[in-house]
Amino acid sequence: MSGFSTRPVSDAPLRRDFGWRFTAAVLASAALTLLLAYAVVALLWRGTALWGTNIPFVWGFDLINYVWWIGIANAASLFAVVLVLRRHGLRSAVNRFAEAAALAAVAAAAIYPILHLGRPWLFYWTVPYPAATQLWPQFRSTLVWDFWGIMSHVVVTFLFWYTGLIPDLATMRDRAAARGRLGLARIYGFFALGWRGSVQHWARHQAAYRMVAAMVLPMLVSAQTIVALEFATTLVPEWHQARLPLQVVATGLPSGLGVVLALAALLRGGLGLGRYIDDADMDLLAKLTAAAALACGYVYAEALLVAWLEDQATRQAMAARAFGAYAGLYWGAALLVVVLPQLLWLKGVRRRARYAVPIGLAAAIGVWLDRFSLVAGGLLRDHLPRTGPLYAPSLPEWTLLAGTVGLFALMLLVFTRFVPVVSMFETRHEESEADAP
Amino acid sequence: MTAPDPLPPPDRRSLLRAAGASLALAAAAGCDDPQEFGAPLHARPRGVSADSASYATVLDLDGLGRGVLARTLGGHAIKLEGNPRHPASLGATDVFLESAVLALHDPARSRHLRRQGRALRDAAEFETWLAAQQAALDLRGGEGLRLLTGPVASPTTRRLIAALLARWPAARWHVQAPMEDPAAAAGAMLAFGRPVVALPALSRATCVLALGADPLGPGPAQLAQARGWAAARAAGREAGRMPALIVAESTPSLTGAKADRRLTLPPAGIEALGRAVAAAFGLGPAAAHPEAAPIAAALRAAGPGALVLAGRGQPEAVHALAHWLNARLGAPVRLVPDPLAAPAGTLAGLLAQAEAVTHLLILDANPAYDAPAGLDIAGLLRRVPHSLHAGVQVDETALACGWHLPLRHPLECWGDSRAFDGTAALRQPATVPLVEAAIAPDALLARLAGEAADGAAPVQATWRAAWGADFEARWLQALEAGLIADSAPAPLAIAPRADVALPPPAPAARGLVAVFAPDATLWDGRFATEAWLHELPRPLGGVMWGQAVLLAPRDAAALGVADGAVLELTLAGRRLHAPVLVTPGQAPGVVTLPLGGGRQVAGGMPGGIGFDAYSLRPAAAPWVAPGLALRPTGAAQALVGHLPERALAEATPRVRRVAAGEAIPPLPTPRSLYEPWRYPGRAWGMAIDLDTCIGCNACVLACQAENNTPVVGPEEAAMGRTMHWLRVDRVESGPPEDRSVDFQPVPCMHCEKAPCEVVCPVNATVHDAEGLNLMVYPRCIGTRTCSNNCPYKVRRFNWAGYARQAGAVPVRNPAVPLRPRGVIEKCTYCQHRIKAAGEGVAETACQRACPTRAIHFGDINDPDSAVARAKREGRSYALLGELDTRPRTTYLARIGA
Repeated sequence: MSGFSTRPVSDAPLRRDFGWRFTAAVLASAALTLLLAYAVVALLWRGTALWGTNIPFVWGFDLINYVWWIGIANAASLFAVVLVLRRHGLRSAVNRFAEAAALAAVAAAAIYPILHLGRPWLFYWTVPYPAATQLWPQFRSTLVWDFWGIMSHVVVTFLFWYTGLIPDLATMRDRAAARGRLGLARIYGFFALGWRGSVQHWARHQAAYRMVAAMVLPMLVSAQTIVALEFATTLVPEWHQARLPLQVVATGLPSGLGVVLALAALLRGGLGLGRYIDDADMDLLAKLTAAAALACGYVYAEALLVAWLEDQATRQAMAARAFGAYAGLYWGAALLVVVLPQLLWLKGVRRRARYAVPIGLAAAIGVWLDRFSLVAGGLLRDHLPRTGPLYAPSLPEWTLLAGTVGLFALMLLVFTRFVPVVSMFETRHEESEADAP
Repeated sequence: MTAPDPLPPPDRRSLLRAAGASLALAAAAGCDDPQEFGAPLHARPRGVSADSASYATVLDLDGLGRGVLARTLGGHAIKLEGNPRHPASLGATDVFLESAVLALHDPARSRHLRRQGRALRDAAEFETWLAAQQAALDLRGGEGLRLLTGPVASPTTRRLIAALLARWPAARWHVQAPMEDPAAAAGAMLAFGRPVVALPALSRATCVLALGADPLGPGPAQLAQARGWAAARAAGREAGRMPALIVAESTPSLTGAKADRRLTLPPAGIEALGRAVAAAFGLGPAAAHPEAAPIAAALRAAGPGALVLAGRGQPEAVHALAHWLNARLGAPVRLVPDPLAAPAGTLAGLLAQAEAVTHLLILDANPAYDAPAGLDIAGLLRRVPHSLHAGVQVDETALACGWHLPLRHPLECWGDSRAFDGTAALRQPATVPLVEAAIAPDALLARLAGEAADGAAPVQATWRAAWGADFEARWLQALEAGLIADSAPAPLAIAPRADVALPPPAPAARGLVAVFAPDATLWDGRFATEAWLHELPRPLGGVMWGQAVLLAPRDAAALGVADGAVLELTLAGRRLHAPVLVTPGQAPGVVTLPLGGGRQVAGGMPGGIGFDAYSLRPAAAPWVAPGLALRPTGAAQALVGHLPERALAEATPRVRRVAAGEAIPPLPTPRSLYEPWRYPGRAWGMAIDLDTCIGCNACVLACQAENNTPVVGPEEAAMGRTMHWLRVDRVESGPPEDRSVDFQPVPCMHCEKAPCEVVCPVNATVHDAEGLNLMVYPRCIGTRTCSNNCPYKVRRFNWAGYARQAGAVPVRNPAVPLRPRGVIEKCTYCQHRIKAAGEGVAETACQRACPTRAIHFGDINDPDSAVARAKREGRSYALLGELDTRPRTTYLARIGA
């Protein structure tokens, strides 16, 4: 064990000054978060009339962004989970902030299902509690399933992130105390839950960590699936498809991985952690993104091909989505999610952050386009001709999106400021393994 | 629905006042003040009696009466329904009748006396002026006085005008009737030598040739004609031999949509066809037309069931030959004297002697807006020293006249009226007067004529003279019945001249032909004050909150313009800018300009909705004017409500067509995991007959009026957020040049396996014990998932708190709660009316309004109910039945190829 080597990681949160770049980033994301607060207040005050939605396009950015953020969260934590469970070498480097990204994305996502309601202050009516009305939720409704989906998602993602953090929080406590910052040490100590690093602690921690990770894994698939079921269980031809859950899970992957890739590059550059998130890690992450994109390619091709074998309504619905008024979104998504990430197979591209990061972010944008295409384009061909004009997002909807991006960024910045961004105990563990004869 | 009045009618006003006072008391006890009348949220208000009463009265369109029953609650008229006994209503309503309660409650109604357009609180100055002018006119015998009115068929108004002219013999009466067709009168003169109108009995017609006529379209006789046409269809279905409707028209109409054969012809082509058909029967010089021979053969084969109708825009020759052909064929027409024929001059006649006019009294007319181009009304009004306008609304003329006097709404005053067939009916106040300062038009005339003007006195004077000793009994009877029995004139036993000399056709004109047309929702512009009508999608094209000129696809392609492109129209040197709607079924070379738009002063409405086609309309050729030039301006304007790509390739067409007697095989019922609902008592259902639906939109407005459906305004409407619980879909098929149109009213289907119910997380939409699919507004949290899962898209969402916005629900039915922001709402099958009916016959508002009785509603558990019988018909089918939602609303297929 070389405690010496994790010093830069633990030093980062203990530094008093993070430099002007960090301050600027915090200010920018805090400004965006304030914008979110403004957008939320405006929404509560004026109602959903602020949005571009109508009949039949009753859902707009509310659902698009919700599904998108959930996709990012799921892909990021799915990635972290797989690393933990497979004891992959990469995990020490990226799983901590992958988990953090997942948590921040879940928080951003969880805002939407509430704000999307016509009367958001009554959201708790979907909760089964013994109300005076003696009325239980409609358990056949996917929205009730979704309530459980998102609730367990928040809880389990948080547990997963937090369980992994406990030994490092203890390290932080000790190092803060060693530097004489007792107040900080006390705070770290509170969250470290009295961790002393005994063998018994380690044994229990490993069991717990792996157990939570194992819990996350099926739940992630199911959470994504429930979101997809909100669409798939309706009678809308383009939504009413058995493949939809798979499609939503699969297309969520490149966006989550892309975001993790971008974050990894930022941390390497921003915090000087090149040694801990090394080139091989970046390489592997980029390859995973490319592989996920390839899987999406399969999903896209399958959707088009199978639609051709379907009944007339489904076939026309697919055609309307791919070639109708929102065709640009559909093909834009295909380009950014499937085609562009294939460049990451080239060593020259994926080794250079200035290429790999934009490609990863583009994949995330592409998945957002895909969600837009699903929510709006999927309704182009319904059973009867459309009765309203097309949906186009309004300024308040864009504000809301910008606001949740700000919230996401702010949460991550706060995370880098106060918590070790790379799992120190895993790094130590890895290096000790490497040192062993 | 008729509740006979328990008190003698002369006391009615005091009764209504008392009712109003008790309402005020009740309001003081509860929480409503009169301004907030009927604004419950979630629940019935307390303190307002649930007992409502209906009063029979009559409302005019173009001077011709249609009988209505005004349902009142606490002295307020809240809903109009047709009077089943009145020949021009037959129990049905049209969009204009439905919106009359809105006009009555319009907060922007004229409330004050105005001088030079400015409101005055004190009437003393006006009284002084009026007395001085009367004295001056008395000295001169009325020299220089001109009375300008709209078309008048009312016996009392005519009697009072006669009395006024008797007081001032040198005065003259002029009529401004923008919707009048002088060619029809000229054609009757040509055929009979006297002004008569032919009343077709469409119920007995087996083969109808409409030469530019639109008997099913809006107008004073629409309800009667549509009912007759539907009766003929019903008889034809019964007999297995459908009546034929052949329509030759330049621009798509409701009649054209229901035609078995539709010929798209320019006005001159229709005339040529008419002449050729007449020639085939031996009238006029031989003329050839490729379609004439088969049409003539069909008419001949139909014999006394044949009927030829000439319409607006056709020259007098076509009207004359239609009269001649009907006489020759023994067609089911009744000839009666024109109820509007009057010894009055025209607006052009008034302007011709403009120099002689010193006093101008304008009663319920708006010449400053609807005069044809080239008549300098503004100049006249500026020049005339003394002018008085009396009207319900502050309009363009009100502001241009020296004085303006607010008139009572017809629902607030006494009067009488004649229907299109001459049947007289009494008008009685059916509501507390909402504008105390206002005066009834007859009262104004009576005052000027020096008669008793108070309340019912002028009307009673008219009928006392006519009835003599019988008066008291007949008066009561007439008030209760809503019409005066046997007051229609006897049919004239006259025949057209054998040798009708048809004038030669006008020389072929070059260039495009402008066809002026009444607007489907604004009519001649008088309804431009009403938000319900602005927000009503036009039956053809779907445009609302605006207007468009109609252009044939070929002409549009030649000009290189698409829907919404703004054109510059030039006719006789006058210019107008208007957006275009490319209309399949429009005759190439013909441009249709709807009238009624572009009002600058239209009550509470913003000015300039649509465009003012009157500014192009020539006085000499009010309906068809050749020589129109079009130029694209490059600008574009969004057409609210118009959706271009509407057609869907469907496995099963949504509007089915079958041959007479053919049955649609029922769909197999797939098994369900869930137990079926059981209905030991009643089970409500609806059947809508697509064979007789004429797409007139009366049901849509009836629903809006009944259910407090808010108006959302042009911006929200453009976003696709209108709140109508019932919509009439226009289903088009066929190539653009020969487009066939079906209408399909779509209310909530009240599905047995309702997709909306299972997806609502909070059980806000549930099934009731009688099969209604209900919305529980207080429980709704607004996820809108139900709308996503509704394949019929009949659910509406309150994106904003529409119902609480100013002017959105100006008249409120207290039986129906207003819906707050953020909840879904939809058709309830008029659940409150079901409840009110108790064990009696429940009728939905849409069903009640339908002129052709295409909507059947009732208990499907009762095998003898009309709806159960309709559902047993072979042509009954469910919309999207293949989805197995098992809708309670089903359709009856249209008969035809």
